[in-house]
Amino acid sequence: MSFLPLNPGTDFIVNSEAITATLWSGTVPTLATYFTSSTQEASSAGNYYLNVYQTASSETTAEVQFAIAYANKQGSGSALYNGAVGGNSFTKTLYGQYRTLVLGDENADFNFGGVTQSDFYVLSIDRTRYKEKLFPGTFNLQLSGSGRTLELTDDSKDIASVNFNDAGRVFQIVSGSNGNAYEGNGYTDTSGSYGLFLPDIGTIILNAAALDLSAANGGIGLNTTRVSNGSTGVNNTRFFAHISGAASFSLNSEETISSNFAFIKVPNSEMNYSENPSFISSSTGEILYLDEGFNFNPRTYATTVGLYNPNNELLAVAKLSRPIPKDFTKELAIRIKLDF
Amino acid sequence: MGYLNNTIVTVDAILTKKGRELLAQGAGAFNITQFALSDDEIDYTLYNPTHPSGSAYYGEAIENMPLLEAFPDETQIMKYKLTTATRGTYILPFIASVAGNYKIVQANSQTITPTTSRGGSLGNVAETYSFTLSDVRLYSTINIVGGPTDQPSTVNVAQEIAASLGTNVSRTYVGTGITVTATSTNVLFGNSTSINSLLIIQGNTSGTRLQVPITISKSA
Repeated sequence: MSFLPLNPGTDFIVNSEAITATLWSGTVPTLATYFTSSTQEASSAGNYYLNVYQTASSETTAEVQFAIAYANKQGSGSALYNGAVGGNSFTKTLYGQYRTLVLGDENADFNFGGVTQSDFYVLSIDRTRYKEKLFPGTFNLQLSGSGRTLELTDDSKDIASVNFNDAGRVFQIVSGSNGNAYEGNGYTDTSGSYGLFLPDIGTIILNAAALDLSAANGGIGLNTTRVSNGSTGVNNTRFFAHISGAASFSLNSEETISSNFAFIKVPNSEMNYSENPSFISSSTGEILYLDEGFNFNPRTYATTVGLYNPNNELLAVAKLSRPIPKDFTKELAIRIKLDF
Repeated sequence: MGYLNNTIVTVDAILTKKGRELLAQGAGAFNITQFALSDDEIDYTLYNPTHPSGSAYYGEAIENMPLLEAFPDETQIMKYKLTTATRGTYILPFIASVAGNYKIVQANSQTITPTTSRGGSLGNVAETYSFTLSDVRLYSTINIVGGPTDQPSTVNVAQEIAASLGTNVSRTYVGTGITVTATSTNVLFGNSTSINSLLIIQGNTSGTRLQVPITISKSA
């Protein structure tokens, strides 16, 4: 008898494990070098967003880390789609896109820590980087400004309960580090919080009005352009300069990996003989080493575990790292990880 | 004070080709219900029951050997299973009544009815066998004798070939005997005059296993 049954109630278990990792290419904890691509900037996509790479975009190792976009409710800050038709522009499209995605209500406005604003910047993290979701409490972004470097984080460690909107969990972005505000709630005095941290969609929304404030008032003097039918992409480029100027952006990803385990248990009386041709004589079927009493005290060496369906078809196989001895005095317990 | 029990070994499993095929089919086709252990790669002649250092060293040449990674081809792994027998057993069953290899000309049939011998005067083990054909496309008819009631005795080969999608071509059938007819079509031959394949016979009670080469020859 070579097969032993597995009990579906006791021999299988599903285990979920949260895996966190640095976000950036090369697994560096802090992204310190920032590059854009003139080709991407000049393309039609460049009207909407600016891709940021960890190395020169011409390098073979260049990978998009995140994209910068500017959104405006009135459509200011970029050229109109058609100069002869007022209203719709690239920034207005982006505003509507994120309003639908985050607020889920075409009549709602973005509210940053109690203050309603009509424009914002978006850092959209590349999906390959964040895998499943961003890890709250690890967001640390520095922005250079005249007279100061602003340090931003999410408020995940300061709040008692998590808020949710149409994009899942939402945290306010505050002045601070590692999920804690430096002082008070970490907001600006007049423009609310610095933005919204949306870990479940890999998106960071930054309050343009807060960043426009002077250094004395908590901002970086970003000077966002809100000219109607103005130049496209100016705000993206300007914001990029403040990120690359400080050169410090750290953030981790979080991923839940579910694994199936099967527990193999072999009683002492089972599987102590082998059909291995070197275990028996091919002509007579006699066990080797009979003179040494191997038939009463046989010893086998398991090297492989096979998992079968009821038709005896081999579905999965696991190799042991070394042969494991088995005899009438030993029981085996092997845990098989099934990550398919 | 004591040491923690470290006798539980953890290993990662990989899917075989058959496992991948059934996982892709979904709808409960992938259903692990039993397991077996094998000692592939082990050469028991390295076991030395006369080792001068004593019994703790009998298996030293085996126990420290490095093992290869798993092969995903289900016909190339789990070849030699560990099996259970009454303590004191000195003869293990082995498959008999099967030729060392078979040569079948196109459109001709071959019947294989193995027996499991316990050697000498101990007689045979009455059991069913798992017949694994390495490439179902090489046959036009497959008939099984003595199989379970939910398995048709005449296999719908065309359906099996269609289900294989040209990649997962091995098939396992359970019974006491098998009759195959070599395909009469020439598509798989290309410029060759013969195709080599395998039949693996596994005793479902004894665990004994035999691998038989089958050569399909193109008719003149």
